[in-house]
Amino acid sequence: MTSLLFINLMRSKGLMVGLLVLFMAGLISLQIGKSFLEKNEKIIEKTREYQEESIEKNVELHSKEIGLLLYYLKFGYVNKMPRITGLAIGQRDINPSLQSVTIRNLEEQKYATDLMNPLFQLLGNMDFSFVLIYLFPLIIIAFSFNLISEEKEGGTWSLVISQTSNPITLIKTKLLLRFSIIISLLIVLLILATLYLKLPWDVPLLAYSLLSILYITFWFSITWFLLSFHLNSSQNATYLLLTWLMLTIIIPAGINAISTYKYPVPEAFSTVLESRDGYHNKWDEPKEPTVTKFHQHYPQFKAYKHPEGKDYSWLWYYAMQQMGDDDAAAVSKEFQEKLLQRNQFAANIGLFVPSIHTQLNLNSIGKSDLGNHLSFLKSLEHFHEKKRLYYYPKIFKDVSVQEENWKNITLAYFDEKIPDKWYLQLISYLIFIGSFLIWGNTKFRTNKY
Amino acid sequence: MLEAINLSKIYGDQPALTNLNLMIEEGEIFALLGQNGAGKTTTINCFLGFIEPSSGQAKINGMTVGHNHNETKKYLAYIPETVMLYPNLSGIENLEFFSSLAGFSYKKNEIVDLLKKAGLSSTAHEKRVNGYSKGMRQKVGIAIAIAKKAKALLLDEPTSGLDPKASNEFSEIIQELAANGTAILMATHDIFRAKEIANRIGIMKEGNLVSIIHSKDISANELEKLYLQTV
Repeated sequence: MTSLLFINLMRSKGLMVGLLVLFMAGLISLQIGKSFLEKNEKIIEKTREYQEESIEKNVELHSKEIGLLLYYLKFGYVNKMPRITGLAIGQRDINPSLQSVTIRNLEEQKYATDLMNPLFQLLGNMDFSFVLIYLFPLIIIAFSFNLISEEKEGGTWSLVISQTSNPITLIKTKLLLRFSIIISLLIVLLILATLYLKLPWDVPLLAYSLLSILYITFWFSITWFLLSFHLNSSQNATYLLLTWLMLTIIIPAGINAISTYKYPVPEAFSTVLESRDGYHNKWDEPKEPTVTKFHQHYPQFKAYKHPEGKDYSWLWYYAMQQMGDDDAAAVSKEFQEKLLQRNQFAANIGLFVPSIHTQLNLNSIGKSDLGNHLSFLKSLEHFHEKKRLYYYPKIFKDVSVQEENWKNITLAYFDEKIPDKWYLQLISYLIFIGSFLIWGNTKFRTNKY
Repeated sequence: MLEAINLSKIYGDQPALTNLNLMIEEGEIFALLGQNGAGKTTTINCFLGFIEPSSGQAKINGMTVGHNHNETKKYLAYIPETVMLYPNLSGIENLEFFSSLAGFSYKKNEIVDLLKKAGLSSTAHEKRVNGYSKGMRQKVGIAIAIAKKAKALLLDEPTSGLDPKASNEFSEIIQELAANGTAILMATHDIFRAKEIANRIGIMKEGNLVSIIHSKDISANELEKLYLQTV
């Protein structure tokens, strides 16, 4: 029976067209992912070259004063992008994966980044996650919405149920065949992805694959549940498309609106303004209070004093820069906390909305989610602080520029690991899938055919 | 083999079938005549278990339909007015599929024999049924019924729309099945076909079985007159 159902399905033109469209969309998404990875690699490579050249030139130009040299020197810090980001670009196209910072105030530099093409940002990327989350369910719906109703409307159903008292087996087999075909296509695309994007066979790839398979299974379980109501084709199609619309567009948009309202985030720009105000005003103020505040912040540098009667010293200058960060600290903290709260809110809601859950988790695996960006910013603060703590005493002591080995300075990397208990994210799917399958089964058993 | 005891079906406040009492023995062909809405299809659907009777019982081989749904289906084969098959499968594949649904597994040569027995030309066996005429599909339907080795066969206006030759071939096969002991209940509008092949003929009107005639006791013209007077 299964082989004949398979033959019947494979001879249907609609199936082949649907599979072909999905396959093409998958290939396009892989190309988009590859281009994105290559572009990022180029940016990092160029930055590395530029940093080397820039340091060399600045050392040459400002060889007499280390304070002045460090005014100009930029240190590149890269948010390492795994190859799997090519499958889930997420927010990596709007959040910078690389920050080049001086040891001056950080807040102003955090948000100084290149602007991407705004139209591109509006449309988003058709990466593999997009194909998985939006297009796969549509094809599942197209292949399965009339699983029973096509038999009823085509007239074969009466013959079927006169032949067997257990048509549920037939319906299960039909759905399982479609499930197998879709899962096979997914696996083929994932294998192609590993070859084309050079993905390593590691835990993130395993996690990505399992999440994808469970997301597809979730859609089949919803279809199974809806089929158990024995509605006609147009009703099935309407309800399934409405479900798709709700889960992939309306609910996520609604959640976004709620989180924006519930957790209003101060503009990043206001953090920059606070920071600028924090240090710009200091030019016109007495130097001692600025230095005193600096000493309160860094008691280990108390031994270094601002020369009395002088208008300018590197100690005062960097203390003033420090004030910019200190004054903006509260706004900056609020900004990050609110973003974290939004992220957590979305993650909590996602437990009940598989499309959101999938998007967040795939982005988390691809290290392209908001959480990763916030961790990167946090890590950037540590990186920046480390640089300051290393160079401050050298500046205050005015050590010779030549004493430092500037050639040792290379790009530094932030590499966030996938959470140890990533597999816990699968539980929510299992609950949904189990519930819909059991509920659908019960309805199939109690309904008359 | 087929028995209706006070079988009734009411849709809302509209009776579709009222207190039908009927017994069809093995090897007997019973034809139900009547206008549209007379209750013929409702009777067949009650035996098939497609609808639940409002009262009374439909029995197959002594077992009540509904109580022993799985068991009673084993004894039944059904040929609807228009046999609809899977258009992307051939006649052979359709027969193999529907037989497997009923729990039978035939070899290819057995399937070919069944289709030949049902009168389907061998040139059509391997062709997809989307190119089949109605008569050809009805023949696959007969093959499906034969393959099930059912003791009772329910036919719902099976010759409707068939050309005279195809209709005649169909009648011959039905008679052969009856000769082999199959009890046959056939709903039809075709008075002359009913007279030709049925042992007994029942005339239904507004859900009631108003008369039962032995076909050998009446001529085709008399049957037609009686039918027209009744309905």
